[in-house]
Amino acid sequence: MSVPVVLRPKRPRWFAVTAAILVVSLAVTAAAGWWRGWSPGDWWGLTFGTMAALLMFLAALYPLRRRLAVGPLRTAQDWLQAHVYGSTLAAIFVLIHMGFRLPGGQFGWWLFALTLWTTVSGLMGVVLQKWIPTVMTAQLSVEVIYERIPEMVAKIQTEAATTVTGASDVLQRFYDQQVQPAIAGLTPSWSYLLDVHSGRDRRLATFDHIQSFITAEDKDRLADLKSLVTEKIELDAHYSLQRLLRLWPIVHVPPAIILLAAVAAHIATVWYF
Amino acid sequence: MAQAHEPKPEEPMSEAERAALDHLREYPFLKPLPEVVLGKLQPNLVERTYAAGETMLRAGEYSDAAFYLKSGIVEIRFAAAASPPTPREKGGKAAKPARSLAGFASHRSGVAADGTVIVADMPVDLSLNKNVLLEPGELFGELSALARYPLSSDVVAKSDVVCLAIRAPALRMLFKQKEVAAFKKEVDERYRTRTLGAHLRQVDLFVGLGDRAIERLRQTADLASFEPGAVIVEQGAKADAFYLVRGGNVKVMVRTGSTDLAVTYLRKGDYAGEIALLMDEVWPFSLQALEYVEVVKIPKDELQAAIRDHQPIEQRLWETAVQRLKERGVVSRNPMTSQYLQMAMDTGLIHGESVLLIDLNTCTRCDDCVRACADTHGGTPRFIREGARYQHWSVPVACYQCSDPVCLVGCPTGAITRALGTLEVTIDPQTCIGCHNCVKRCPWGNIIEVPFSSPTLKKDIELATKCDLCVGRSAGPACVQMCPHGAAVRISFKDLVKMQETLSA
Repeated sequence: MSVPVVLRPKRPRWFAVTAAILVVSLAVTAAAGWWRGWSPGDWWGLTFGTMAALLMFLAALYPLRRRLAVGPLRTAQDWLQAHVYGSTLAAIFVLIHMGFRLPGGQFGWWLFALTLWTTVSGLMGVVLQKWIPTVMTAQLSVEVIYERIPEMVAKIQTEAATTVTGASDVLQRFYDQQVQPAIAGLTPSWSYLLDVHSGRDRRLATFDHIQSFITAEDKDRLADLKSLVTEKIELDAHYSLQRLLRLWPIVHVPPAIILLAAVAAHIATVWYF
Repeated sequence: MAQAHEPKPEEPMSEAERAALDHLREYPFLKPLPEVVLGKLQPNLVERTYAAGETMLRAGEYSDAAFYLKSGIVEIRFAAAASPPTPREKGGKAAKPARSLAGFASHRSGVAADGTVIVADMPVDLSLNKNVLLEPGELFGELSALARYPLSSDVVAKSDVVCLAIRAPALRMLFKQKEVAAFKKEVDERYRTRTLGAHLRQVDLFVGLGDRAIERLRQTADLASFEPGAVIVEQGAKADAFYLVRGGNVKVMVRTGSTDLAVTYLRKGDYAGEIALLMDEVWPFSLQALEYVEVVKIPKDELQAAIRDHQPIEQRLWETAVQRLKERGVVSRNPMTSQYLQMAMDTGLIHGESVLLIDLNTCTRCDDCVRACADTHGGTPRFIREGARYQHWSVPVACYQCSDPVCLVGCPTGAITRALGTLEVTIDPQTCIGCHNCVKRCPWGNIIEVPFSSPTLKKDIELATKCDLCVGRSAGPACVQMCPHGAAVRISFKDLVKMQETLSA
């Protein structure tokens, strides 16, 4: 049975090393807990807490690396892998640090919630980044640069208006009532996430209904209009999916920054008291 | 009512046009040509004058013209005497910061035992530190023009020089005219005398073959040219000759059912016909010219006689034959394996030495590749992340760094160059005058123009820019290094195995 793309590691070695570290860490935790009990403040608890903090700060360097296209610092893909696997390990180290118990106190809860949120939103990003490109590539015939989508929609509108010039009243009315609203502007929708062809057949069915009411000459025009509307629907899908790829960091990055600040405060508090 | 397809009456030739043709007839080899042929050739025949000391051609440049020396003396200076670049070892790592062009050296020159260097595109044998003079009546640069070899030598006017530049289309047309058969024969004969021996010695297959055997091959070889699409040999026909490609690309294909499937392709320096030498068989595949192709054809019997006493050569022939038959078998059994090769041939990607490809299955369209490119090049990216798509691969508008970069031909200021033995073709913004010559010549539209305030010209121009593989950047092209998902890759279509592996991954 083949593993779904979203669950398949891009770099199996990174996955294997992370899994190995995880297994060893859990074994150490179980052994230390069995031997002398577990407390976040004892040697092992502090060790895992420190490692979690270090990994979080290391993970935070990835966005800086993305903006620094200098040579000998390994590839951006290496950095992203370190970011993803390091952050995942950090979250598990936090749990180990806590002895797999719920936190005590309000600040502890905040830290816990932020860690959880940042990790889950990050993993959600990983899934989206693996899943959406395959969907766009396999199921959309149009490939487009995100920033150019509005320009391409405008081009479709112009082409459609030109196509319908000189057409019969029937086709003209069909254009006014059905085609123009469909290509009027970008209509992003969450539904593309669930089904990239979302409602396409239903929306294009009207083109088949009108076939028997128009002349042979208008049929060519209708075919052109249909392909323009199809392209517009694909552009909507691209816009919706690419926008999601661009916007998901909003739910990840600000909480991650707050988490880093909170972790720094946590460390300072521990050191101070 | 005027008839739609009535042929237009031929317009009478103006005085100026007639004078131009008469002037061309002063060249002895053009004299016998009919007026109509000369008229067709004329746009690609340009008389040029050079002052004494002026450099006419530079080593490493690509020229699309041969030069017939009308008057004056020309000096050929062998570039290797200055600072020879180090070509890349086969399969080895590229030299940094400049990346090397694999296989470059093998097409450039042959070095005889006495140190004499025989260059393919010049009608002379050169010795290091010893320059050679050409006199009126000589033709030089024709192999560079026809087979797109980079020029091997600097050519400098020793005195005031008048010469006729014959661009490649005219050269091809000219060589087809029966009136200039003698001239063509003379050119071929000179190639045979001066270069063919060296050329044959560079073929891997003939390594170790003695001077006598090479001489025998040289005497009996035929030179042939093929137009794009022409079938050189047909599958099933009796294999009676050995073919050595000296210019252009040749498709090797097998017929499966009603379809011809691409098995591989041959570039200059490659050969086919080992089956003919080894057994009394028919051609197991067809050879078709993908573009203008120049080949050396050696009759079966002659080659068999020449290599009779050379066991290692027969061994190599068997190895090649078995390899080709295996490739043919793979394609016949699984036609899908040839799809990428066919795509590369159809789209011209086979010319690419370093083609940027983006795997759309993993690309999140984040544009980090474009941003990294822009950051490396002062804010202006050198490629556009859109272009042809093949299955889940996108081929962005980015220079392929072609094996034979036609963009280099005819740059009036020499701004666009490829240093000898390197991979990257670069444009110097200080000397580019925005004439668009390279932009128009690039068959793939991979050179783009950006507004630029030229400090040299002191005016705003449309500067030609292109991917330069981030020359000088120690980690290689930024687009590949900075892709967070490993979606951007660069591949050479010379390495067919790696290409197939990468694309089918």
